Amino acid sequence: MSRSNLGLKRCLRVTVFLGMIILVLSLLDRTSPAQDTAPPPQTMTQSSPIFTPAHRTVMDAVREFFGSRQKPVQPIAYTHKVHLANGMQCTDCHVGVDRGPDARIPSVNFCMTCHQVIATDKPEIKKLAAYRARGEDIPWQRVYGFLPSAHVKFNHAPHIRAGVDCAQCHGDMTKQTVAVRMVDHTMGFCVQCHREKNVSVDCVACHY
Amino acid sequence: MERRDFLKISAATGAVAALEGCGNPDHQLIRFVPEEDMLPGLATWKPSICTLCPAGCGMLVRVMQGEAEVVRNGQLGILKMGLPKKLEGNPAHPISHGRLCPRGQAGLQVTYHPDRIKTPLARSGPRGSGQFQEITWDEAMKQLLSHLTALQTSNEQGKIGFLTSPLRGQRKTIVHGFAAALKAAPPIEFAFLASRTIQEANAWSFGSDALPTVDLSHSNYLISFGADFLGTWNSPVAQSVGYGHMRNGRTGQPGKFVQVESRISQTGASADEWIPSQPGMDGVFALSLAHVILSEKLGTAGAAGHAGALIAGWSEGLPDYAPAAVEKQIGVPAATISRIAREAAANAPAVALIGDGPAAHTNGFFNALAVNALNAVLGSVGKPGGIVFSPVWTSQSGKPGAAEGKKDGESSVRTLAEQIHATPDSVKVLLVDGANPVFATPMAWRVREAFEKVPFIASFGSFIDETTVLADLILPDHSPLESWLDDSPESGSTKTVASLAPPAMQPLHNTRSMPDVLLDLAHQLGGPVAAALPWKTYDDALKIAFSSLQKQKGSVSATDADDFWTKVKDQGGWWSAEDKSVSLAAGKIPAAAVKNTAPQFDGSPDQFPFHFLPFASQLCYDGSLAHLPWMQESPDPLSTVMWGTWVEMNPRTAEKLAIKQGDTIEVASQHGSLRAPALIAPGIAPDVIAMPIGQGHTNFTRYASGRGANPISILAPMVESGTGSLAWAATRVKISHISEGKIVMFGASLTDASPELKHR
Repeated sequence: MSRSNLGLKRCLRVTVFLGMIILVLSLLDRTSPAQDTAPPPQTMTQSSPIFTPAHRTVMDAVREFFGSRQKPVQPIAYTHKVHLANGMQCTDCHVGVDRGPDARIPSVNFCMTCHQVIATDKPEIKKLAAYRARGEDIPWQRVYGFLPSAHVKFNHAPHIRAGVDCAQCHGDMTKQTVAVRMVDHTMGFCVQCHREKNVSVDCVACHY
Repeated sequence: MERRDFLKISAATGAVAALEGCGNPDHQLIRFVPEEDMLPGLATWKPSICTLCPAGCGMLVRVMQGEAEVVRNGQLGILKMGLPKKLEGNPAHPISHGRLCPRGQAGLQVTYHPDRIKTPLARSGPRGSGQFQEITWDEAMKQLLSHLTALQTSNEQGKIGFLTSPLRGQRKTIVHGFAAALKAAPPIEFAFLASRTIQEANAWSFGSDALPTVDLSHSNYLISFGADFLGTWNSPVAQSVGYGHMRNGRTGQPGKFVQVESRISQTGASADEWIPSQPGMDGVFALSLAHVILSEKLGTAGAAGHAGALIAGWSEGLPDYAPAAVEKQIGVPAATISRIAREAAANAPAVALIGDGPAAHTNGFFNALAVNALNAVLGSVGKPGGIVFSPVWTSQSGKPGAAEGKKDGESSVRTLAEQIHATPDSVKVLLVDGANPVFATPMAWRVREAFEKVPFIASFGSFIDETTVLADLILPDHSPLESWLDDSPESGSTKTVASLAPPAMQPLHNTRSMPDVLLDLAHQLGGPVAAALPWKTYDDALKIAFSSLQKQKGSVSATDADDFWTKVKDQGGWWSAEDKSVSLAAGKIPAAAVKNTAPQFDGSPDQFPFHFLPFASQLCYDGSLAHLPWMQESPDPLSTVMWGTWVEMNPRTAEKLAIKQGDTIEVASQHGSLRAPALIAPGIAPDVIAMPIGQGHTNFTRYASGRGANPISILAPMVESGTGSLAWAATRVKISHISEGKIVMFGASLTDASPELKHR
């Protein structure tokens, strides 16, 4: 057998092996959504009290490894466009963005201060009211955010104080309904702006 | 397949298998509506009080928004809430001065402990089996109430017992007020390291029934008789701060520190001069020093006042205590005694301390009186650089009397056990809060057997321990960080201190604050009990109590009552503006001057050749902190042992008995035996063996159960002859070699120490 043939065979074997692993993994992954709908209480109480950086499912880990992220599916089709068109400001709901590292996502109580009376007949607002009636908060899904493996820290407050517009990193929310990732927060994106504004591009400015 | 491919693939499969093993289903849970609005990512520092030892250090708690898995209305979910992340000393607090000891730092783990009792429990199996079933608070309150009212109707309220850890502040007012109004037996406050003998001696010598505040920052010379004052004794954080000043914090010569003891403690390891002495002879040593001072006219007998006059032979210059006459008894050369006495007299202000072992002999009271007399002749009582007695705040919400006076030693539990054994019917309901006497009393007292005879025991404990496991009903208290707290420490500062802290966090579990439960019970009982405890909640009582401080000159100045209350809450308490010490009244006058009696030991020297000296663990304290994994995981500062216990012995002793480092040995007294690994160290007298208190729990969470041995269990029921306190240093033991081994953990991890934990 020629040497190239040998290499091909080896390559094939590895591919088949990896394929099998991925098949098994995706099967494992498929079992978990069933738990999402009806989680058996026993398994939940037995969840580890010890912090773990591990993923919920193997596919989550694989996805993170390849940097692919699922599109967040929000429990309520909240529309940014309508709220902003009615004269609200970003910071009305995302309080603290100018004071701390993270902006607050308001709780159901905050939404209900207005929606007690406004648009109470709309289906999405009924969903909102139902959450509140059950004593539950809205399980908003994360839209932006860095992967832990990136080891990057971001603090909103200094950016807001420096006059960076929200839209520069989050896109024009007056045109968006449910928040989606409009801007890809890659390192290149951050560094470009840092260069333009002549601020530190030192590694430890963000990676610490 | 090449080796490289193989490695890649096996690494991938291995990682996958590992990941699958520890899935975290947290984002399947529902989210509860948050009860507080916090900004994410920003820390706030909230004042709190450390409750893990009686020192009462003021703390700051770093709180940040986080997500906790909690059960609300029977459903598991995620709650966004302020979560304490770190504990530090409160810089404004006059006791902690911004510092905190390692035990205090670990207080965080009390709140987040995986084995905390999360909801009320009723016993479902045989007593002591640890089988409980979860019940609601309504059911729990109904059960307890029915037992209390049953005794009320049969007019047997005196058969209600209340056993607590030492109490102070409004918590004490409520507990004692509740018991008094119910006409129950007076509550018993139990702690193994209660220092009752020293308090009693101070009442005799100086008229102040309290532990002294030591003004180390101004001292030039310090003689400590056995007191581990930098580690566990009295107010270790305040004393460490003062000691730091004495050594480094001022210009000129640093003060000299002499430690006298028979086993080197962590404190002793810091001493300039460490003097090994015979157990129980500290009083003789102190009087011998006084003899030199008096005979060489370095001080006058009259200057010592009442504290000196108490001692037999004082006015004659203590003729029986000449160094040459007592050097053999004490085990210290006469020349050393004379030199120390001269040094102390020449380096005023000089101060002497007594604590731990020396006060826990059968003659501990005499030892303490002797050291008091030495302090008096050195002129260090009530003076800067000496010992002072802090004025304690005693406002009791306008209900004086309830919390005054009475302090209990360990002996009160012995009395209780004896009473139950004599008339089993004498205690029908026992309420337990924070105390664990089944662990912390000698087996010979038969406390466990006594409690088993009590028909109904209710506990307010947060953890199942050796005492709580006997309970029929458990009404779990909040953790300290979840509770309103107040405290008025008796020592540690020359200011009057009234600490106060609102809850630093919302409760994680279905628990209730014990004072609130008592107030609720009082309201439901009605009549005189409700009238005696008129406050709706614990914080109402606190607000009323603290309002009396507004007019006094202190750390808070406010325009009105609400402003005052807000500022006190923000600051973590109120303390007086000026340093003050209580003016000393003459203490009790005994029928005859106190004479030395030789210390008695249980067991004959032939059969039981060694003195057995238990000592408080730097980490697990008296055993009440053995459930905190940080404390188990921290190496003991002197021996570096972790996750376990050990028996310290002198190399000469070990050689004679052919014992090597880490061998398992058996320590036997007349009252029991235990096995533990030997630790051979030179800092201990050849006829003494020592053992840390704290381990040896049979039932105290996953981290402490079945680990090490409990030295308290084999102690002889010897009592201090003057005060009746347990003389826990008065037991003699023999030791025998059991097997070779390497059970002592020097820098080992949890899984090395206990393989069974790997499988949890």
